[in-house]
Amino acid sequence: MHRAAHTAVYSCSNIVGPAMIRQCLKCRVPQQLSSRAYSVVPTPRDSEEKEMLHRILRVDHAGEYGANRIYAGQMAVLGRSSLGPLIQEMWDQEKVHLAKFTEILAESRVRPTALLPFWNVAGFILGASSALLGKEGAMACTVAVEESISEHYNSQIRALMEEDPDRYTELLQVIKEFRDDEIEHHDTGLEHDAESVPGYWIFKNAIQLGCKAAIYASQRI
Amino acid sequence: MAALLRALRVGRALRGLGSVVSAPAAQPPCSSLTRGFHRAALRLQDESKADKPPSSSPSSTTYNEHYRAHSAEQEAAGAPQEHSASEPAAEEASRPNTSYQDQSGEQGEDYETEEQLQARILTAALEFIPLHGWTVEAIAAGAEMLGLSSASTGMFYNGAGDLVLHFVSQCNSQLTDILAEQHNQVQLGQAEPKKTAEFLRDAVETRLRMYIPYIETWPQAMSVLLLPHNIPDSLKHLSTLVDDMWYYAGDRSTDMNWYTKRAALTGIYNTTELVMLQDSSPDFQDSWDFLDNRIQDVVNMATTAKQVQATGETVVQGLMGAAVTMKNLTGLNQRR
Repeated sequence: MHRAAHTAVYSCSNIVGPAMIRQCLKCRVPQQLSSRAYSVVPTPRDSEEKEMLHRILRVDHAGEYGANRIYAGQMAVLGRSSLGPLIQEMWDQEKVHLAKFTEILAESRVRPTALLPFWNVAGFILGASSALLGKEGAMACTVAVEESISEHYNSQIRALMEEDPDRYTELLQVIKEFRDDEIEHHDTGLEHDAESVPGYWIFKNAIQLGCKAAIYASQRI
Repeated sequence: MAALLRALRVGRALRGLGSVVSAPAAQPPCSSLTRGFHRAALRLQDESKADKPPSSSPSSTTYNEHYRAHSAEQEAAGAPQEHSASEPAAEEASRPNTSYQDQSGEQGEDYETEEQLQARILTAALEFIPLHGWTVEAIAAGAEMLGLSSASTGMFYNGAGDLVLHFVSQCNSQLTDILAEQHNQVQLGQAEPKKTAEFLRDAVETRLRMYIPYIETWPQAMSVLLLPHNIPDSLKHLSTLVDDMWYYAGDRSTDMNWYTKRAALTGIYNTTELVMLQDSSPDFQDSWDFLDNRIQDVVNMATTAKQVQATGETVVQGLMGAAVTMKNLTGLNQRR
């Protein structure tokens, strides 16, 4: 899906036209990528702001990429079970998120994190091994990861609102919408008996610790 | 401390200069100073830098006033100005200079920051590279050409490193302008988009050609860039250069390709630069041939990688098919 986004960006760079980001976000389909008068991320005024924005975008992109791989791992094990359609639906939403961040990264010339191959493998392994613990295991993993991610998005929203809410309106809108999706996934996981996994507390905290480490590393590397 | 000493020195010079500036009898005493102000203002209007805070140090204000007074004197003597914005300054001399009087509040318009002054000195110093090499003497000669004392090299804590880094960053900006211009022309439909390999080849050649006037002394510059305290800055310049080249070549990747592409181009650029140093062919044709070959190598490698991947996928599919067939044949695949 984000390969289509790549080619679309490249081929549409000649087309100048208004793009309705908000409308397209509601449609939940990959929007046409064109060079716009404005973009989601404002042009940084100095190197500090650039550093801050690039860190935010880099880690969000890495996070969505990792979430994608986690769901892929879960689908590989539980794809044919009764939980398959639910996991597939959540995975599709994550794919939309990833496509959006890929587009923003390309537009703003942000360096993607060098740890992507690592998150590729680690995410898949985490998803697959949590699914091997059963349906409740997979749901517990989802709950842990989505809680981490939504906390992380919340702190980013706070940081951006403290800086300058007017300047970052579009970016805040994107992050808020994605955070709402992640919270929805979190609640879905809880509904499907995530807490009935033996050792839930340890499992959840171990995963969340891993997520914190991943976020820290992706911001810098 | 250094700022205080500078202020003292400048204060003494100003007092001495006051008499000199009022000397030229042919013109009214203010206008030469005014023209200096106007020239500086117009020069600054060209800069797209953000406004710095009112005075980074009181001494640089007085230093700049000293410079402007001095330059006005130079201008009266007909010294050439290297900045193109100085041409319309002559007509501006008759304009009332009320807007430039107030220096206490905003100093955005006619206040030349220390960085801008340093940039001007270093640009002027480039002319003296063939004579003095990439050294502090060249900077001193550049400062003297602008009418400043050669002691202004004290501003440059990194000496030759400042000069080389300034030149490299200037070349990078020029390249970015050229590439942006080409990009605009393609978007406007006035030019055909080039293929990636050709685009990169032209970009690297354009960039390396900027070294040709200094090619005799370039090994010295490269060794300056390799000094440990200069390495972070030179690597930063190199990485922004390569990033710009790929961006304008159309790369929008957000995965490991981002890194592999830039690493490949950095290798091509560095090796071609080294070849250029040893090249004695007419118009460096050998270097451009070397560049062609390296780019072709990378293109071939990318094609080969894709082919290997496709072959691998096909082979795996074949193996899976064979395994399923064997399972069917031996009866292991029956559902019970």
